[in-house]
Amino acid sequence: MINPLIYFLLFLKASLFSTGGFSNLPSLHQDLLANAWAKEADFGQSIAIGQISPGPNGLWVISLGYLTYGYLGAFLALIAITFPALLVLVISAGYTRIEHRVWVRGAMHGVSLAVVGLLLTVVWTILYTWNMEQLRHGSTGALGVDWKGMLIAGCAFGLALSRKVNILIILGLAGLAGYLLYR
Amino acid sequence: MELQDPRPSKWQLFRIWASVGLQSFGGGASTTFLIQRAFIEKHKWLSMEEFTQLWNLCILTPGINLIALTVLIGRKLGGAWGIAISLAGLLLPSAAITCLLAAGFKTVENLPAVQAILRGVVPATGGIMLLVGLNFALPLIRRGYKEGALYLLASSVLIIACALAVILLKLSVIVVVLGAAFLGALFFSSKSAPPLLGKEQGEQQ
Repeated sequence: MINPLIYFLLFLKASLFSTGGFSNLPSLHQDLLANAWAKEADFGQSIAIGQISPGPNGLWVISLGYLTYGYLGAFLALIAITFPALLVLVISAGYTRIEHRVWVRGAMHGVSLAVVGLLLTVVWTILYTWNMEQLRHGSTGALGVDWKGMLIAGCAFGLALSRKVNILIILGLAGLAGYLLYR
Repeated sequence: MELQDPRPSKWQLFRIWASVGLQSFGGGASTTFLIQRAFIEKHKWLSMEEFTQLWNLCILTPGINLIALTVLIGRKLGGAWGIAISLAGLLLPSAAITCLLAAGFKTVENLPAVQAILRGVVPATGGIMLLVGLNFALPLIRRGYKEGALYLLASSVLIIACALAVILLKLSVIVVVLGAAFLGALFFSSKSAPPLLGKEQGEQQ
């Protein structure tokens, strides 16, 4: 059973300790799975829905809220991503005083590096556990690696890297590939 | 500071932010572009320099940078009311659509065809996330090149250590971020860091 207050606080914590739309993902991933309040598949699906729908890409959290806890979850997620942004008012008042201290820049650099490492863990988990899920469906006999899924992930990466293909088209092609390969 | 257009009415401000939110598909780059077009080019309520200064404050703010930017622009154009109206305009319509899409998905998720489609889409989101990570890494690696091999090595080690700490040691993400901030303050502070007012950072998120 989901405790709404703790659920909200987990979203708020993830948002408070993140920078940018996706960097709250590792924290939510860890906490919601630990409480069994989300399934692994919810994350991939929320990101896909977030990419298809309009708005800043941080709004993927709203579909995560909906998929795990209905309209209340979506609402709590919206509040949790909005509130930390108001801290910019505090920061705009105080930052000019400390921006020239070297340790501030050093710490910011450390946080940026951590964000990269944490995003890599999410990529790893999405690919790894998604394939494990396929194993449970009994579709392959091999150990956890489905080459078709890896191929799709690689193609999506390449197409996104080229910056010539819209994200919506990439996801559409991936869905078509999934339909043809796994039907 | 020359403002060519009169301050927007509340309703006009709401409409502009709603149209920014509803038109921005594919994430932050298009949202940033739409904000610049509406507030700088079309209505001339902001100059590009002001926009860059506001953006740099947003990079330092926790959470989604674009929402922080919305707060700052809203305050400039309408005080506390401006903040509330701008946030509502950007977030409510697009959040409602996101929610409806998720609800629609929930009703069809058990169809075999939908399951098959998802088996294609989910790995693709993994690939796209990898690119998001690399986009974050690129300015850091560039800076590493400028600062020398040791700096670059230390940066790479910290990235990998953070990833392994979560995957293998199952450390809490918050602990990892705070630890990285501490290590950064210790090891990266002695270098002559570039000012944060870099324009390329505006491309992120």
